[in-house]
Amino acid sequence: MVIEMEEFEPKIVGFLCNWCSYAGADLAGTSRIQYPPNVRIIKVMCSGSVDSVYIMRALLEGADGVFIGGCHPGDCHYLDGNYKARRRAVLLKSILETLGLEKERIWIRWVSASEGQKFADTMKEMTEEIKKLGPNPIAKHWNI
Amino acid sequence: MVQIRLQNIGTFSMGDIKMTDKVLKVKNGDTVASVNDLLKELLKSKKVQALLVMQEVPSKAMSFPVLISDPDKLNSNVFAPVLPVSTATIISKITKVESASKPIGVVMRSCQIRALVELVKLNQANIENIVIIGVDCLGTFPVNTYSDFPEKATPTEFILDSFKKKSDVVKYLRSACYTCKDPIPSNADIIIGLYGMDPQKELLIQINSKKGKKLLEGIQLEVSKDTNDREKAIKRIREEKAKNRMEFIKDKSNIKGIDALAKFFDKCVNCHNCMKVCPICYCRECLFESSVFDLEVNKYIGKAEKKGLFKMPSDSLLFHTTRMNHMVVSCVGCGLCEQACPSDIPLMEIIIPIGENVQKEFEYNPGSDIEKKVPMVIYKEDEYQEVGEK
Repeated sequence: MVIEMEEFEPKIVGFLCNWCSYAGADLAGTSRIQYPPNVRIIKVMCSGSVDSVYIMRALLEGADGVFIGGCHPGDCHYLDGNYKARRRAVLLKSILETLGLEKERIWIRWVSASEGQKFADTMKEMTEEIKKLGPNPIAKHWNI
Repeated sequence: MVQIRLQNIGTFSMGDIKMTDKVLKVKNGDTVASVNDLLKELLKSKKVQALLVMQEVPSKAMSFPVLISDPDKLNSNVFAPVLPVSTATIISKITKVESASKPIGVVMRSCQIRALVELVKLNQANIENIVIIGVDCLGTFPVNTYSDFPEKATPTEFILDSFKKKSDVVKYLRSACYTCKDPIPSNADIIIGLYGMDPQKELLIQINSKKGKKLLEGIQLEVSKDTNDREKAIKRIREEKAKNRMEFIKDKSNIKGIDALAKFFDKCVNCHNCMKVCPICYCRECLFESSVFDLEVNKYIGKAEKKGLFKMPSDSLLFHTTRMNHMVVSCVGCGLCEQACPSDIPLMEIIIPIGENVQKEFEYNPGSDIEKKVPMVIYKEDEYQEVGEK
């Protein structure tokens, strides 16, 4: 007898910048492009405003992945917020690596307001990758 | 009045001014008193309006930084092997609003000068009229070890003695000092040097800047012999500390993975002392001291229902990982966080490896170069492209 396992559906928290990535996600929606519903979108004014505390909180509360979407390099509405976001991602990933936590759960990508298809593709790709990683092992810890 | 004797032992130039290494003769083998006399001279001659320097409290159980203007009340002990608070934080506190109108001399250890340099770069301190007098550091003991020192000698005698002959001083050192990044002060205007010297006989007085030169101008100096051994001694101590450091962080099994991390911070009581004493944690109100993470009762219940249970207060690992994200780039390794922990969590075991890796990533050595910007405020357009787009 084959026991059918319910497929693991990752929970992804997405921080999308107001000017590019959120508009890109909007375009994907209005263009009726299908993408996995695993991402929970939070609109922020700039990818540079996403402090590590929000990313860590999502991960420690049990999110399986965290996505940060910003404008393409050179296109930031605030000139250099995305460059700073990228440096912060490098910092956070370095710390997670030293601590033996999965830095692969954090994605930072550039999606412009006109790239609805790219947003949908990125979400598909990320959902697949996180599925391969499996559920976030932090989720079961109650003592942190 | 005590005559301070200094001697030229060679010159080097820095920019347009000629810098000269000098030597302070130690009187009657009393290293502490001789440095005290030199500092007294600075106060008496009004070269500085005040000094920030370590002085023993009347009970002798502790030494604290004092801001002192009266030379007759100066009874300093710049070698007291204890770091109760961050002197960099104190300078930030007194200069953040406006710079001093007249020079203030501050006697600091190497780690605290590094911290001060970082605070200046973070716009949290102004060293315009601050003259930094750096002291070669022999290491410090935890506060309780210092106040109830188990040896016959006083902690200061013990550590100065350890310098001459091999002793078991290592067992008393704080782990931060055992693994010190560099016990030799950099970015000081004047350095009071111990390494390569005989502290019972003479100390090096190295002048590194115009400010330092001006401070020692007109002070009666006299002759002594050369200090060729110093460079060798500095190289030796730096190598020894680097070796200790590598050994100290070799075994990372206690901080690898969520199970190990949860265990590492099991004893954390969420007091946030590590943040309060950290010279780099400069926020007036820490996010974690605010009510940002307070939820309505239904949300707490919802959180409990999700996992079945959760520890209260929660967020201790969130606090520590966030704190690391905020300060570790500029971490100077002073170890005050570990000293302040009421639960004796060995924080340096986690802070040192994280700091090493992050600082290597950004090719940044905190406290070394006052002109080099902190990595989190600068960027290059074409860097880290693998992080943004795979």
